[in-house]
Amino acid sequence: MDINNLAIALFFTAVTAAGPALAADHTDHGKQDAAASSAAPVDREALWKKSLAKPSLAVTVDFDENGRLWLAAISGQHIYVSYSDDHGITRSAPVKVNAEPENILGDGENRPKIIVREGVIYISYTQGLAKPMTGHIRFSRSLDGGKTFSQPVTVNDNLEIISHRFDVMGVNNRGQIFIAWLDKRDLSAAAKKGEKYAGLGLYYAVSDDEGKSFHPNIKAADHACECCRVAMAMDTDGYPVAVWRHVYDTNIRDHALVRLDGKMVPVRLSHENWNVAGCPHHGPSLSIAADGVYHATWFSNAPERQGLFYAYSADRGRTFSAPLNFGNPEAQPAHPYVLSLGSRVYLVWKEFDGENTGIFGMRSGDGGKSWSVPEKLADTSDMSDWPLLIGTNNQAYLSWNTKNEGYRLIEMDDENK
Amino acid sequence: MRRFGFFAGLCLTVLSLAPAPTLAAQEIKPFVRGSYQQIVSARQGKPFIINFWSLSCGYCKVELSMFRELVRKYPQLDLVVISTDTYEEMESVSGTLEMFSLGKSETWLFADSNTDRLRFEIDKRWYGELPRTYFFGADGKTNAFSGKLEQKDVEQWIMEQYGFR
Repeated sequence: MDINNLAIALFFTAVTAAGPALAADHTDHGKQDAAASSAAPVDREALWKKSLAKPSLAVTVDFDENGRLWLAAISGQHIYVSYSDDHGITRSAPVKVNAEPENILGDGENRPKIIVREGVIYISYTQGLAKPMTGHIRFSRSLDGGKTFSQPVTVNDNLEIISHRFDVMGVNNRGQIFIAWLDKRDLSAAAKKGEKYAGLGLYYAVSDDEGKSFHPNIKAADHACECCRVAMAMDTDGYPVAVWRHVYDTNIRDHALVRLDGKMVPVRLSHENWNVAGCPHHGPSLSIAADGVYHATWFSNAPERQGLFYAYSADRGRTFSAPLNFGNPEAQPAHPYVLSLGSRVYLVWKEFDGENTGIFGMRSGDGGKSWSVPEKLADTSDMSDWPLLIGTNNQAYLSWNTKNEGYRLIEMDDENK
Repeated sequence: MRRFGFFAGLCLTVLSLAPAPTLAAQEIKPFVRGSYQQIVSARQGKPFIINFWSLSCGYCKVELSMFRELVRKYPQLDLVVISTDTYEEMESVSGTLEMFSLGKSETWLFADSNTDRLRFEIDKRWYGELPRTYFFGADGKTNAFSGKLEQKDVEQWIMEQYGFR
């Protein structure tokens, strides 16, 4: 009995050692794997399957060129797309994206992505696989205005049952699609050789034919943090820029940035020096203005540098302004999101006052140099999705789904209106 | 050197396992509003550790195996283990805890769908990152720590608090 317990305990250690980076853990992969093989992993897989079945509050949106709002949401084992011409109040009948049922990740930092450009609807998402914390990056599109969707394809060209998760998508005006994600293939390869590898890789794939096909996967960076969303925005020249939480040294989990132009070497964006051997589940956001200024926001819980931060870069990410620390530190400010519309910049984030979750926002009229006083835009008394910002026709909106109130699209006020 | 450390740790675990009595399934208490205060005030003036974990957190499992070893090595250690999963996941949480068999440690499970509210009561400066551990000293001094702990640091704290050499 006790020996069995020991074997199972060792199994857990082995699974996690093969999963997230355990640079601080003094264990030996080879020995642990041997111990693990004697214990059946049934229970852990059952747990994962149960977690996959949890209902998702994730709603992702985009405006098309005519100001029509398109929504992607998860119900059961399908993604459904609908549209609204009245800011989400009434919606069209939802259309199924994936005909075959799949486990679609939609909790916390995971959500399906939707982009609508010139009549084409692009969808990316992460499909959860049978083993815990594993997934494939999937893509589908609609060429008939959302009436039907193509059979989803797997974008990652490494097909091991490992983590390819936390997809993010961008489409430029040349019709190119970029999908980036966090990928454990290098960790998996290192583990097979008995070597260590901190974190996982950031990979991406490009389509030059509006998603008919994708070029082979490209690695953008080694040693990204395992479980925080990746942010992506299109630069003015049509190259996407990615921002993610990175693992520096042993376990410093600050942010990095790279332009996916095939030339740029990743640079460090934030320097809070948050040393944590754990899962923050709290990724960054990025927006690029028409004038080419990068606007980034992120979270840190480093002892000396806590909370939400914002900074901008006028030189394509090489240097950033001194980070602005915002949000009420007594109210758990969390999950910030940024949107720029010309020289106007908007930030939204979550706060919790002990009873209710509120979405707070502030705006800048001068490209992020000065900011309005934060104000509460919406609240709820139960669980809710992360807040998002989208813009159309030079107007910014907060997009937020809550368990009690449902989906809301809320206009962001401007000072001069 | 590292390898030696691992085996030494393993031997210790095996040895200390042998005389341990088989325990019945542990009671898992529902963690609701007020629970945290209840846990803390019941222990005033005494040293204890509160550890938060969840089923989906890989590092937490590594840490639970460490605590498994520590509660055997230091039977005086007052450890409270709180799962941030949902009450619907009781069965899975219970199964996992049984595997880690944490002796007489008190075990709890979040039982309010609004986890933000529970977290706020615990610590306004905690954002839900896991594992999360609080060290309550006998002198009332509290230390919060996010991420996987180093065993030597925890042992040092235990020795200081419980008066081991």
